[in-house]
Amino acid sequence: MLALVETGNALLAPLHAPADRDWRAAAAEVRAGFQPGDLIVAAPAWADPLLRLHLGDLIPVSVAGRLDDARFGRIWEIAQRGARAPETKNSRATQVSHHGTLTLRLYQRPAARVSFDFVAEWSQAAVSRVAPGGQVSLCSRLPDRFECSGLPAQSVKPELLEIDTTAHLALATPPAGQSTTVVEFDRVPLGRELAVGAGLHNVWLRKAGKGTVSLRVLVEGRELGRIEAGSMSGWTLRKFDTSALAGQSVGVRFEITVDDPNSRTLGFAAEARS
Amino acid sequence: MASSVEIGPATRRRWARPWMVPLLLAVATSGWLLAVEGRQGLARDEAQYFRAGERYWGWFEALGEAVRAGRPGSAFSRATVDTYWGDNHEHPPLMKTLYGLSWRLFHRCDCAGPKRGLHPIAVHGKHRTLPLFSRESTAFRFPAILLAGFGVALVYGFARRFVGAWAAAGAAVLSVAQPHYFFHAQLSCFDAPIAVLALLVALAYWKSLRSPRWGILCGVFYGFALATKHNAWLIPCFLLVHYLWMRRGDFRCLLPPRVPLAFVSMAALGPIVLFALWPWLWHSPVARTREWMQRHVQHEHYNFEYLGRNWNQPPSPTQTGRWLLRATFPFVSTAFTVPATTLALAAAGAVVLARRRRKNAGSEEPSLVDSEPPEPGARASWLRPGADVDLAPGMFFAVQILGPLGILALPSTPIFGGVKHFLTAMPFLAMVAGVGLAWVARQAASLVHPSRLRRALPAALVVLLCLPAVAETQRSHPDGLGHYNLLAGGFAGGASLGMNRQFWGYSVLPLLPWIEAHRPPSNRVYWHDVLHDAVIMYARDGRLPVGIGDVGVGESLVAQADLGVVILEKHFAVYEYLHWEAYQTTRPAQVYAHEGVPFAVVYQRGAPPPRQEPLPP
Repeated sequence: MLALVETGNALLAPLHAPADRDWRAAAAEVRAGFQPGDLIVAAPAWADPLLRLHLGDLIPVSVAGRLDDARFGRIWEIAQRGARAPETKNSRATQVSHHGTLTLRLYQRPAARVSFDFVAEWSQAAVSRVAPGGQVSLCSRLPDRFECSGLPAQSVKPELLEIDTTAHLALATPPAGQSTTVVEFDRVPLGRELAVGAGLHNVWLRKAGKGTVSLRVLVEGRELGRIEAGSMSGWTLRKFDTSALAGQSVGVRFEITVDDPNSRTLGFAAEARS
Repeated sequence: MASSVEIGPATRRRWARPWMVPLLLAVATSGWLLAVEGRQGLARDEAQYFRAGERYWGWFEALGEAVRAGRPGSAFSRATVDTYWGDNHEHPPLMKTLYGLSWRLFHRCDCAGPKRGLHPIAVHGKHRTLPLFSRESTAFRFPAILLAGFGVALVYGFARRFVGAWAAAGAAVLSVAQPHYFFHAQLSCFDAPIAVLALLVALAYWKSLRSPRWGILCGVFYGFALATKHNAWLIPCFLLVHYLWMRRGDFRCLLPPRVPLAFVSMAALGPIVLFALWPWLWHSPVARTREWMQRHVQHEHYNFEYLGRNWNQPPSPTQTGRWLLRATFPFVSTAFTVPATTLALAAAGAVVLARRRRKNAGSEEPSLVDSEPPEPGARASWLRPGADVDLAPGMFFAVQILGPLGILALPSTPIFGGVKHFLTAMPFLAMVAGVGLAWVARQAASLVHPSRLRRALPAALVVLLCLPAVAETQRSHPDGLGHYNLLAGGFAGGASLGMNRQFWGYSVLPLLPWIEAHRPPSNRVYWHDVLHDAVIMYARDGRLPVGIGDVGVGESLVAQADLGVVILEKHFAVYEYLHWEAYQTTRPAQVYAHEGVPFAVVYQRGAPPPRQEPLPP
């Protein structure tokens, strides 16, 4: 019986794979209903290259490298084999259609309103290095980055990073030995929460280095919390409650320290949301 | 007059010849592999072995020239030897030498034209060859394919010592009808060859337990294994476990077992054969042997996807969960990659073998052929160390299967990943499946009464029970590395489980026609994990134009190219993102997918967004 089932499966299973015409039909429906700001995802995630082959022009780098999915009110999900994308887990589909073995669902939900995107507004920051003795040296602001210690390799800049083998548009921050790297924003219009994501960039660096990078988040000089990033910690997302300061413009400071800076580049992104 | 065709006694005698069935199995296997290998792209490592094999052949050319010049000794000088044999010296030379020799004999030469500069050794003119193969890469692969066929014949021959002819034939088919094994059997690499040679050494050892002639051959074969791949180091360890188990009665009598001839032979002849076959060792045997061993003992950890994680560092002792998870890898991979019917048959065979030892001699398991019972009154000696005892086939198979898997499960073993690293277990697994097949046939025969049907039953069962493995293997081609079995859910199931999809950059092959058609005017192409040697061989094979660009390897070079390939492995995600940034698009220009699972993508700078079809496998 097992032999018959396995033989039958070997012969028939290839026919259940989504055909190109299925992808084309699903993509055509997405295009017909697409609105600026929509998110398009594949389920399972391994189908993402095929999704981007058909709809990649609607998935800019900034969307592919998002902090998370909270700011997207409409999510198109092209799914197969009964899978669900993690972005749609707590949402209900308002529109469902089938294209061969693909299922297209549109999810609509209240989107988080982002009052300040720290990566997009990177040039508003002040970046400095604080030595263990308290000596502060400012990093130079250049058109595309902050350069610290006059070394291009020691730049803080917005960049598409690979963190935990996923894409994240983040502020790339190589931590400095004994010093603390400080990225500080004045007058940030806060909402009800401050979402911060962080992790270590680049699979080869994660393999080569051993140090743990610590990201300390402070608002108006008060610590909200920390994120520790090591080689295996992946992309850590923390949401800090800032409802007490909602509607106010305050200073937000990120302090980055490391126990061993060899082969470490921290990437972090943050959004103030209401 | 009967309407059926009677098989005459002469025909029956021909079939009864012991070499006929294994020969047919070998020819069929090699034929199957040759028929399909052209659809399987060139693997990263084999591209290096093409180069090294051709260089090694270059030494033989140099030797011929030196002999003609009356100075044969010059070919043996350290400088000359190192010029040719220094290439890829981290691996021993036997298979690479055969690959180079096969290439020289069997390729169709258009070497004197524009492709002359693509060779690693000087080409002085058109080669005179027996042009069996239109692609040079096939000529390189030919010895591995022949050896795979020989391996299948060996499985049959070995299995016949335990089961009948039909079950042994089934075991032979199941040994190659495994998607991952089948993938490796086509390549001019070492993984399938070392599996065959490990089997050959094991067979010689098994026969040496009753025959001194095989004890000597065991050492010679072991030398061939050593000259094939460093997995050979472990072969005596597994055999020793079996030997001590087989002679456990000696310990009960407080007599240490004798050191058998097979081990003496392996210790003495193995290194001699290795040394004779490996000119790179000739001038510094001790230092270079140490260098070779240290290279593999201190191997770096590879990146490898397993259960959704990218593994590239050993977990620390405090990370118990990760330690345990990593230890499961070879066992879970086996459970998910070997066809399910084969696994079920192997489970049945394991039960048969386990029960066998609990029975006394008078009630031998009827589905097993016991061709080697202890000889009455025989006395063991170092020349015939198994003469007086049961040979314990159950333990023999257990160590041959669990040994290679267990080594990979150890936390101290570098992370390699891939079934290929314990491929040596697979022929033995197939033989145990053959035992299971014999048991199933016997059970089924007891349910069938007409004698004519009963006679046809073993053949019918072998066909029925081998069919899923053959169908799965055919389905998996040319992406056997990404194939997972019925239990895992096939290609898509394996991808959803977060199992490794591929390695070695072979999967670019279906994209080559598109890449050639869309070659950028700048000729700047980023090939990612497709090694430059592979790009060269694609050009020599006529599958890429001579002179196709290659900007080289490295993250910084992605932005310098106008067309870039990315092989989709979990740890290679960074290369896709580099293309997104460099080309300012997340949209690939082409995707190669198998059963809807992507394997490789191509990005094109400034490409309009055309409607592209994903390429079928």
